Amino acid sequence: MRKAAVIFALLALPLFAQERVVLIKNATILTITNGTIENGSVLIRGSKIAAVGKNIAEPANAQVIDAGGKFVMPGIIDTHSHTAVEGSVNEISLPNTGMVRISDVLTADDISAYRQLAGGTTTALVLHGSANAIGGQSQIVKWKWGHPISEWPVEGAPRTIKFALGENPKSANFRPPEGQPRQYPATRMGVEEVIRKSFTDARDYLAAWDEYEAKRKRNEAAIPPRRDLLMETMADILRGNIDVHSHCYRSDEIMMLLNLSDELGFKIRELQHVLEGYKVAKEIAAHGSSGGTFIDWWGYKAEAYDAIPYNVALMVRSGVLTSVNSDSDELARHLNHDAAKSMKYGGLKEDEALRLCTINGAKQLRLDDRIGSIEVGKDADLAIWTGHPLSVYSRVETTMIEGEVVFDRQRDLQQRAAMKKEKEERLKKEADEAKKDGKGKKDA
Amino acid sequence: MRPAAEVSMNLRRFVAVFPLLILAAPALLADAPGVYAIVGGTVHPVSGPAIENGVVIIRDGLIEAVGKNDLALPHDATPIDAKGAHIYPGLIDAQTSLGFSAPAPRRGFGGGGGGGGARRTEDTPEPSPDTLAIRNAKISDDDADARRATGVTTIITAPAAGIFNGQSVALNLGGGPIESRVIKSPAALQLSFNPRPAWTYPDSLMGVISYIRQTLLDAQQYSAARTVYERNPSGLRRPADNPSLEALQPALNRALPVVFIADSEEMIRRAQRIAAEFNIKYVISGAREAYAFADELKNVPLLVSVKWPVAPTDKDDREDQPLRMIRFRQLAPTTPSVLAKAGATFALVSGAGKTGDFLPGIRKAIRNGLTEDDALRATTLTPARIFGFDRQLGSLERGKIANVVVSDKPLFDDNAKVTHVFVDGREVRLPKEEKKAAESPASPIDGTWNLTVRATQGSVSIIVTLRNENGQLSGTYSGDRGSGDVRGGTYSDGSFEFTISAAAQNEAETTDWVFRGILGGDAVTGTVTTTLGTFEFSGSKSK
Repeated sequence: MRKAAVIFALLALPLFAQERVVLIKNATILTITNGTIENGSVLIRGSKIAAVGKNIAEPANAQVIDAGGKFVMPGIIDTHSHTAVEGSVNEISLPNTGMVRISDVLTADDISAYRQLAGGTTTALVLHGSANAIGGQSQIVKWKWGHPISEWPVEGAPRTIKFALGENPKSANFRPPEGQPRQYPATRMGVEEVIRKSFTDARDYLAAWDEYEAKRKRNEAAIPPRRDLLMETMADILRGNIDVHSHCYRSDEIMMLLNLSDELGFKIRELQHVLEGYKVAKEIAAHGSSGGTFIDWWGYKAEAYDAIPYNVALMVRSGVLTSVNSDSDELARHLNHDAAKSMKYGGLKEDEALRLCTINGAKQLRLDDRIGSIEVGKDADLAIWTGHPLSVYSRVETTMIEGEVVFDRQRDLQQRAAMKKEKEERLKKEADEAKKDGKGKKDA
Repeated sequence: MRPAAEVSMNLRRFVAVFPLLILAAPALLADAPGVYAIVGGTVHPVSGPAIENGVVIIRDGLIEAVGKNDLALPHDATPIDAKGAHIYPGLIDAQTSLGFSAPAPRRGFGGGGGGGGARRTEDTPEPSPDTLAIRNAKISDDDADARRATGVTTIITAPAAGIFNGQSVALNLGGGPIESRVIKSPAALQLSFNPRPAWTYPDSLMGVISYIRQTLLDAQQYSAARTVYERNPSGLRRPADNPSLEALQPALNRALPVVFIADSEEMIRRAQRIAAEFNIKYVISGAREAYAFADELKNVPLLVSVKWPVAPTDKDDREDQPLRMIRFRQLAPTTPSVLAKAGATFALVSGAGKTGDFLPGIRKAIRNGLTEDDALRATTLTPARIFGFDRQLGSLERGKIANVVVSDKPLFDDNAKVTHVFVDGREVRLPKEEKKAAESPASPIDGTWNLTVRATQGSVSIIVTLRNENGQLSGTYSGDRGSGDVRGGTYSDGSFEFTISAAAQNEAETTDWVFRGILGGDAVTGTVTTTLGTFEFSGSKSK
């Protein structure tokens, strides 16, 4: 009887629960894919964008946000992040650690995720580090601050993996302690060999399983092969089930990887950092790859000597799908600035600049049917800005993920006061107890 | 009436053991279990309500009777006057690493060199699933004495080092050969999420999780391969033998529980995901953040460590900490009371804590809302049930093993003193106060050290307060890279090693910094191994 009541309640829930209806009106809407709408509105129903335009009737039950004088932009997408990872972001021990998964070690405690929401960033690709030629499996998340970590990964998003080229995977920057042998590979040649060998091994692995399955079909006795998590990962890359995002700097190593992946039979989804992408932009575009880069970092290490701030504009003009990304917690809070700088360095148009931190990243993550622009049917991941987001004088007032307010400046200011008070009270309580304990001990 | 096995002990073994027997002898009042009548105190049977002015009769290692003080006392019983005192079943500490030292510090600095294969750099080999705690535990009389003085008569112990910590043993803290004191072996298979040193797989938390999953997959494949082969070996290549994978079969068959060491909500959830993936019967140990989601843990046996987080000693460090950490250290001790209210199954354990911290830790849980009855249950009957020996231990009932503790006041009172301890029906002498003090002389490494690490990005200042207890270093750190408890600390003959979770400058993530150094008077020098390389450090003792 009680069970029946519970089931009924569960069934009834979606019918009776008040569906979220929010209307943002009087704003300048930067749709990204369909131009700018002055004095426009965005209607949100549930977790999705239900309408975008100039004259949207106000539903009776809608919560209305008057954004007069303000700008609405889709949530910023950061395709290179290491935020919200517990423990080391690098499993350093082996040249190929494709079996490890960032999804196993995400943590909802990283305050940087919340700070990024304050900068309008809502989605990120959280990557393994670059210590090895093939690193761990990465994870696409939304910064659902306040929700349990199990709800952060974007459901149904493509599986991804980190590759790395250049100095890091040859242990130039990650050296074992004195006395411990240096880990293979120590050269760019070795990095290439590690990747090629991983996939030839994977083919052998698949062949062993095929042979086993064939024997089983013939009802022959056969011992099942070992299920190897690393080889399974490599096999899934070959099958096209895992997208490769590769850390790289120099044009020679970029060409090596594009040629090698063509030879092995998979695509490089996104070249990360790709500071010399401008030298081989046509080749990147021809491969069908894309680039996620920094706008104005150069000269900070040997392999960054040929980096130029015009890289973004040159790649865009050559037809490469390009985004700006952060690699860090701090930069992820103002990727709009990096997008804006592309107008200074290389003269990208305003809409081209905006795409660098929105729809282009969504395409690189193969999530452009769900995020990256303000369109009907897409997730209501939005930020309301005090001014144009390409101006350094603008800041975020409110950030939403799937219609839920996950950052609000006014709410934040109130919380700051409450948290300060709580901290003072807790510290005082602790001090009082310590005093009492100390006294108790002396008396005894 | 010595057991036949002891009589037939061969001469060589006797010679080897003889000095130990002499050392052990003073700790034990009686050789054979006798007959005792503990008369007049408040009896706390745990399985039923307390009995004022009660009696507990012990005979031949077992409890013969429990009742009011109107039972006829056996004429051959040694009477023990417990008027005004309290009588309990001996406490069970279901999570210790008693008898296992931390891995010895590596020789020299920066590891002892490679050598292919597993590239294991510790001198002490890491345990594996087939490591039996019963074969390796070396529990000194002092350790056993110190535990018993806190009312603990049964422990479960396993090494803390490594990932697969081996198979734990439930052990009475009495006299005699270890085999005669076993309650259950193996009690459980123990698993810890301990990354290995950098450049040895797995050296990250995500690597550890992959390593555990791969090992369990390998164990499944091992069993499948054997089954196929044994059905008809003709024409098949013989699968290799592997004792480690063999040892995992009872865990995969749900015949043996797996104890996962997991403290935070997210570590507990990670352990649960692994347990669900492999359909493993499991227990969570540590669990100090269980207060945050107690309702979801009702069906998970928990061993809650009463080693509660402590505030940094320095006032500035305390105030610099984020609210999240302050909340954790204040709310962690509410975990037992929150679990009790949620109706969860939990035991209280010393965990990574020191012997002397067990009762104070339980008292702190009581100050934070746990009832004394629930605390007693969580240290007696509940752990016995979790590990399946509640028919023998955990309460004062006729026929159960006579592990009995008498204390002058209710055991969880601040100034309670344990006056009598019976293990397997033998009375065990308790250490004198003076002896306890003499047991732990100040070690030259004890104290507060101001360390400077010369990292490539610049100098990093870290203050550590260390304390050496039988070669194991514990303590706290604070400074430029956050603060917290020191882990994996060891000290021997002037060289030491310990690990801190160093926060990056953005405070978000932490990575392990492993300090290895040598001591020279009031100065220390050595190296720190980090994921970014190895740096030198030096430091001096704070006056």
